[in-house]
Amino acid sequence: MKNIVIVTILISLALLGIIFSYVGNIIGDDMVNILSMLAAIIILVITVGVGLKYVNQMKNDKASGQLADENWDGIGEFKNELPIGWAVSFLTTIVWAIWYWFSGYPLWAYSQIGEYNEEVKTYNKKFEEKHANISDDELNNMGQSVFLVNCAPCHGVSADGMDSKAANLTKRLDSISVKHVIMNGSNDGLVGEGIAMPDRNGLININTGNSISDAEISLVVDYITNGFVGSQGAEVFAGVCSACHGTDGTGIPMVAPNIKNFTVDLITAVLQYGKTGAIGKMPSFKTEDMRLTATQQKAVATYIIKLQEGSK
Amino acid sequence: MFHWLEERPFFFAVGVFLTIAFAGLIEILPSFVEASRPTVGTKPYSTLELAGRNVYIADSCNACHSQLIRPFKNETDRYGMYSLSGEYAYDRPFLWGSKRTGPDLHRVGNYRTTDWHENHMWDPISVVPGSIMPAYKHMFSKSADLETAYAEAVTVNKVFNAPYNTAITMRDGSSVTVKLPATYDEAKADMLTEAKIIANSMKNQDVKDAVEKGEIPQIVALIAYLNILK
Ligand code: HEC
Ligand code: HEC
Ligand code: HEC
Repeated sequence: MKNIVIVTILISLALLGIIFSYVGNIIGDDMVNILSMLAAIIILVITVGVGLKYVNQMKNDKASGQLADENWDGIGEFKNELPIGWAVSFLTTIVWAIWYWFSGYPLWAYSQIGEYNEEVKTYNKKFEEKHANISDDELNNMGQSVFLVNCAPCHGVSADGMDSKAANLTKRLDSISVKHVIMNGSNDGLVGEGIAMPDRNGLININTGNSISDAEISLVVDYITNGFVGSQGAEVFAGVCSACHGTDGTGIPMVAPNIKNFTVDLITAVLQYGKTGAIGKMPSFKTEDMRLTATQQKAVATYIIKLQEGSK
Repeated sequence: MFHWLEERPFFFAVGVFLTIAFAGLIEILPSFVEASRPTVGTKPYSTLELAGRNVYIADSCNACHSQLIRPFKNETDRYGMYSLSGEYAYDRPFLWGSKRTGPDLHRVGNYRTTDWHENHMWDPISVVPGSIMPAYKHMFSKSADLETAYAEAVTVNKVFNAPYNTAITMRDGSSVTVKLPATYDEAKADMLTEAKIIANSMKNQDVKDAVEKGEIPQIVALIAYLNILK
């Protein structure tokens, strides 16, 4: 035993000397380097010591104990007790396995969805903080990128509706849409779910007491699409529409939408409920579908409002 | 007992196999069964949708499009909720795809419409400038294979017990029944009713005329399929 200790120390010192001659001058006083060196020393001493011990044991040890009955081609097996270290590690793995089965795996396991939820939470928090006091310009820029990704495939890159494939958003309303709404009514939740506009039979001109006539319809359609100019059309509008849409057509909350300009409320309502009209069907982009957040909806609305103002 | 096993390599191997298989069985099987059960709101395809799905497969849309939204924020921003395994319960074969030359289509029904698909399939560049997706004009004249679709529906109903003619609860609590009539003629009448609704929102006169005559062009079946991808 004494010999082993001495030889271990000697070999370790020799190996350390070799290592030191290579790296000694670059260790310096860097903590990480010193720790690595310390670890190297410990690993070296243990490796050499254990190696020598087993070599020694193979040379000198005699097997003892009771042999098991069976043997394989002359190779037998002792029925000795398990060494205490082994027994303890074995029992520990069983305890660990029980913990892992009933708590470790079910409660602490990695989950892709968990990571996703974390990712979304962190991102949303950052987004909220960054855009808490967002300026109009930033909203407009954000709106443009939202528009190009989500809306341009239907409304066109310049928002002109691409030959009536979808609504032309540089203009509030075109004549086919206005006419279609008067003829058929509309119930798309523009000012809140279930608040509908009646069709022509329910549109009474308070000046004449009758429901709106064909001539009146074409007058009022021209009036609206020409930007609310023309005296005959104005008369019809005042008689039939203004009670709900307001005298200047800018709408009344919870009664009827603004038909003169786009507003943030109107556009977010279109995004929430979608819309079916003369031009076609606009799918909904409701927040539950996860594609647009409230801020993004406001941003794209700002973008559209600016577009419409710019094209006047 | 262990000495007995040690002396018999064959039974020892069997024992090892059983031990490991048991662990696999109770770890893997339950979660597999759980994950492959249809999610609430997943219903089997109607015969017209199946016909459209077959067009989708025949024209290799899955070579360029995946149908699997991964749980990453950048994907859910573009496509919506990430895909769940139970949503594919009635997909035979599934069309997850392995390459995205074009966007994912698993929820395309949420943000594209019949008339948009009509424009896009006829001439993709007309709606998406610079698109490299090929045009599929032949779908507007060729008829969809309705017999095969009906046979397929009957097969999955009989062999895999796909719940046709059974009320299925949807996510909002309402219930929906996907019909599978006992004869092909009845099924075809149903398909035509479904096809008419779609053709009504389309502009192509040849397609409208064909549906009026009792034929269903491939494009109508395909759009029926794309519209229910939600
Ligand atoms: C009874 C109240 C009422 C009257 C009267 C009324 N409207 Fe409306 N109008 C509404 C409501 C409510 C909506 C929103 C419907 C919806 O959500 O789809 C609406 C929507 C519209 C729209 C669609 C706006 C869009 O963005 O697509 C137009 C156009 C319109 N009205 C024009 C008119 C004209 C023109 C008249 C007069 C001839 C008129 N309305 C009279 C209540 C009214
Ligand atoms: C699948 C095609 C499609 C997509 C994508 C789409 N729209 Fe539309 N949108 C339409 C169609 C079609 C109409 C016309 C509906 C009608 O006939 O009144 C429309 C109408 C509108 C209107 C006009 C409503 C009115 O009162 O006149 C607004 C505003 C609008 N869309 C905003 C958006 C925004 C913002 C986006 C992107 C987040 C978007 N749309 C994405 C097809 C689409
Ligand atoms: C060569 C590859 C390719 C093939 C094959 C292909 N597509 Fe596409 N697809 C694209 C690309 C690229 C885009 C994106 C540009 C665009 O919208 O046109 C796209 C876009 C789409 C979109 C719009 C999705 C969105 O979110 O904007 C739909 C729907 C679609 N493809 C359906 C189909 C169908 C159905 C088929 C089979 C008949 C098909 N594609 C075959 C490449 C392909």
